Amino acid sequence: MSEQPTRRDVLGYAVRGTGVVALGGAAAFLATRAAAEGAWTIDPTKCINIRLGLTGVDACALCASECVVPLSAIRAVNDYAKCGRCCICPAYYDVTSEVGSDGLPMRKLCPRDAIERTAIGEVDPDDPLNNFYEYIIDEDKCNGCGDCVMACKEPAGLGSIKLEVRNDLCLDCNRCAIAQACPDDAILREVKETT
Amino acid sequence: MEYARIRVIGGGGPDKPLFDAALRDIVARPTGGLIVVGDSVIKLVDDAGRVERQWSTEHPGYCAAVDAKGTIWVGEPGQIETFNPKGERQATWRDPDRFGLVTAIGFAGEFVLIADAQDRCIRRFDASHKWLNDIGNDNNTKGFAIPNGYLDFNVDDKGIIHAISSGKHRIERYSLEGKMVGRFGHFGQRKPADFPGCCNPTNMTLSREGLTIVTEKAGPRMKVFDKSDKLLGFVGSDAFDENCKNMPVAVDARGQIYVGDTVKRVIVVFAPQPSESGKTTETKPTTTQGAGTP
Repeated sequence: MSEQPTRRDVLGYAVRGTGVVALGGAAAFLATRAAAEGAWTIDPTKCINIRLGLTGVDACALCASECVVPLSAIRAVNDYAKCGRCCICPAYYDVTSEVGSDGLPMRKLCPRDAIERTAIGEVDPDDPLNNFYEYIIDEDKCNGCGDCVMACKEPAGLGSIKLEVRNDLCLDCNRCAIAQACPDDAILREVKETT
Repeated sequence: MEYARIRVIGGGGPDKPLFDAALRDIVARPTGGLIVVGDSVIKLVDDAGRVERQWSTEHPGYCAAVDAKGTIWVGEPGQIETFNPKGERQATWRDPDRFGLVTAIGFAGEFVLIADAQDRCIRRFDASHKWLNDIGNDNNTKGFAIPNGYLDFNVDDKGIIHAISSGKHRIERYSLEGKMVGRFGHFGQRKPADFPGCCNPTNMTLSREGLTIVTEKAGPRMKVFDKSDKLLGFVGSDAFDENCKNMPVAVDARGQIYVGDTVKRVIVVFAPQPSESGKTTETKPTTTQGAGTP
């Protein structure tokens, strides 16, 4: 013999059902908005760290300092198809520092030591310049300060390192703090086309 | 030695570029005047800086050279075209396997030397275009280190090849058989003779007197080294657009140096000035308008 639901049970079902519907509706609303408005992105033609034609200036570090995410949702990304595997990479080394006995600059450029330099193949012990090197950015360290991006930019480098918004880290704020602070309006919400 | 900027060779008007998109090479003709390579066009410029003749190439030209017979060789992606001084095509030498991107051509006696920037080596051929050997790829980098994408070289009167390995910040010297017989240059940002940045120098030429003249990028400069590889003089970045890279350079029999400003697409001309100070100075340039042959 089944028991009849009590008045309390009925009220509980009703409240839970309403909550589920409300949550589903909010999720659907947010998903619809996200699909309609896209995601935050960097316009490489505006960002002074990336755009060509601006050299000899300090990198803008607002992407690192303004993001509400503790380590910033912006990272430097190396495009290996463009990277020259330079022996003396200006994004890795502070090329203005003293040169050591091995012929290489003595200081690194990245303030967080986020770039790893690895020789490709065997190193020539008599000629350290006689090698190509791979440069890997450690995303757990990089905060998107842009120093390496500015240093790698053409014509000094090959422009293989760019800044990108990591959408898996970005909180997708309605009013992105970096976009508010960026003097060049380089942080944009990429609009997706809807059908 | 001081080098004074004496004029700028433009095209068709004051400070107008010689080419629409790209200026890639300059060659001082043995008979006087210049051969200038850019876009898909060859321009012959006279001593006064006027374009006296121009013609089109099949593909974009990256370099030129003049052989002992006066034939003009033009290096292009995948091929070399040869022209007589009137601009009439003589032949097209295609070798897709060995001519990825031809950025320099030289001659040593009967041999033809071709720089393939794609495969990062210099290829030696005999007079019948038979391949003999490659030069500069017997090393850890399997070729010249040229992140800037341009391989430049010259051959001296003893048959020694002087080639730039910009990523190693030096000029390497090779025998025709491919043995390295010397090198000079090193990385640095603090002394004028240093080669800074990721990859410098980028382009070079040799004078009749044995001077080595190089150009650099970021910031753009021109430097002159004597026979013992000692810095003789230099011209700083103020003479060129700061975004120039891979600036072609040529020197004529008078010692005048021609450097291509690859952003403004004009040629900046420098002349040596006797000096005891050892400083480098520049004079206010004048612009020579090219005749702009249609």
